[in-house]
Amino acid sequence: MNDGLFDQFKEWYEKRHDYARAWKARTGGQVVATMCTYTPEELLIAAGMLPVRVLGAHEPQNVTEPHIFGMFCPFCRDSLAQGLLGRFDYAEGVTLTQSCIQYRQAFSSWRQNVPSVQWDYYVAMPNDVQSPHSRKAHRAEVQAFRVFLQTLTGKTLTDDMLRDALTVMDENRRLLRELFDYRKADEPKVTGVEALYASITAQFIDKREHNEMLKRVLAALPARKVTRPTGARFMTIGSENDDVSFMAMVESVGATIVIDDQCSGTRYFWNASKNDDDVIKAIADRYCDRPACPTKDYPAHTRFDHVLNLAKEYKVQAAVFLQQKFCDPHEGDYPDLKRHLEANGIPTLFLEFDITNPIGPFRIRIEAMLETLSEEELF
Amino acid sequence: MGSRSVKVVLLEELDMEGKPQLFVKKAHMMMPGDLDADQAAEQAYDDALKAAGVSRDQVKSVFATGAGRSQVAFATEGVTEMTAGARGAVYMYPQARTVVDVGAEEGRGIKTDSAGKAIDFAGNEKCAAGAGSFAEAMSRALQLSLKEFGEASLKSDKSIPMNAQCTVFAESEVVSLIHSSTPKEDIAKAVLDAVASRVCAMVRRVGIEGNVVLIGGMGHNPGFVQSLKNAMEVEEVLLPELPEFVSAIGCALIAAERVH
Repeated sequence: MNDGLFDQFKEWYEKRHDYARAWKARTGGQVVATMCTYTPEELLIAAGMLPVRVLGAHEPQNVTEPHIFGMFCPFCRDSLAQGLLGRFDYAEGVTLTQSCIQYRQAFSSWRQNVPSVQWDYYVAMPNDVQSPHSRKAHRAEVQAFRVFLQTLTGKTLTDDMLRDALTVMDENRRLLRELFDYRKADEPKVTGVEALYASITAQFIDKREHNEMLKRVLAALPARKVTRPTGARFMTIGSENDDVSFMAMVESVGATIVIDDQCSGTRYFWNASKNDDDVIKAIADRYCDRPACPTKDYPAHTRFDHVLNLAKEYKVQAAVFLQQKFCDPHEGDYPDLKRHLEANGIPTLFLEFDITNPIGPFRIRIEAMLETLSEEELF
Repeated sequence: MGSRSVKVVLLEELDMEGKPQLFVKKAHMMMPGDLDADQAAEQAYDDALKAAGVSRDQVKSVFATGAGRSQVAFATEGVTEMTAGARGAVYMYPQARTVVDVGAEEGRGIKTDSAGKAIDFAGNEKCAAGAGSFAEAMSRALQLSLKEFGEASLKSDKSIPMNAQCTVFAESEVVSLIHSSTPKEDIAKAVLDAVASRVCAMVRRVGIEGNVVLIGGMGHNPGFVQSLKNAMEVEEVLLPELPEFVSAIGCALIAAERVH
């Protein structure tokens, strides 16, 4: 739909480094490269910093081999490459919140080998978030991060400052959910590509500015005319995905991506915080409660029913697994999650993603998937 | 429109005791040589029509399938290789439910229903080690023709594991085996076992159910057929006489059905 409604998000995505540099020049604040969407950004925002999620560039690279193994996932390798290539030279800090071991090694290599890094911090979030002890432990980790930032900046992060930041973050989450609600319609007013631009930019644009843009788009959406056929309703499942050309290809051959379970999409913003007098606890609990990444989804597999519910709510006809090659946590979940979806009438397609992806062969697979769905036309 | 050759299948409808039935009138294959894909398609189509004594305006519908299907300018529609392969395989073997398609550049497993509708599939995405071009490269390394290569493998009862998953590294493994005086028959079997194992792994992703039919050019390699049987642990793999035409036949059937 060529009405330009999502152009600002697209521009932010394409020029994200320019945006961060301009933000820094305008505000004088620090920029922090964040790895993993479990990072409690509220604290960075309260400290007057701009959290910028590290994304890859989807370009061939040859700089990570001395630092991490070639059989680490493409997202880790592509992310680290961006640091080593100086693309984040404006970021003083780098943080990781514990998720998977490959990402942790990428973070360690970043902090040791990217010369522009002035400080780094590792948030040791428990993976076993279902344990009753974990919330307490994570609260302590978030509090320790607060103390670190206070020492770093020489300024106190008051509860009020943290609450303001949490309010901004929760507003962002609420607005993104409102936007994604439009994708439930029989003729969705928001495409998968547009939704991706909106959700992924929330991870590196100043949240207040992002919220204002979301409000403008939401105000315009009721009058928006749908000018494209919806086709088959697809869901994407996986870890990080910002391969816009892949998404655009899928939506050009007779499908619309109506929902996702990815950390570049819904897993990032799906749940808001709950009221709590202890603001650190409210922040920490929100990350324990969010739709789980496979690294934090045991012993119970909570995400299986969550994914299925999303599929039902958004009337999904088929789910496409965008499996980052060598991503062990997602590969571990895949067989059971595939069975769970298929047993409930959602056919699936598995595609293995790398730093760069072969659009031609992927198009054939998507088209074949569409043909398996379109019984009445061919037979 | 395969990655190595162009196949054309012409179907005609004949009256069989008052009931119209579709039969293959002409099956024609052409290696494009220096021609571009679109030129090759035109040439192959014209050659097939000429051989069948049919003019273009007598053809009611043209569908294309394969990696280069979008380059067939005179085709009104296209279907993917998975849909075409399943349809063609079930047309030839109505009892087939698992289709193994191994062509020059790609191997895939397709699960089909009784109507020949593909209901699931899996394929190799980037690596040639589960496809015919891998076997071709290895036969070159062994200085055997493709025919000799397949036949040689049947003479071996050894199981030598090939570790490399990439054509280039596998070739260096083959060279190492040659240097260690391993008989060519054993090396040929090792290579075809490796291809069959990779193909089988893909097929297992969709599940091996019912009768298995092998389509695609690798069906001409008897060593591969045996290796595939062993890998899939099935007693029989149904093998059409001209396996490389099965997807084209499936595509033509869908075109004919669409006319009706």
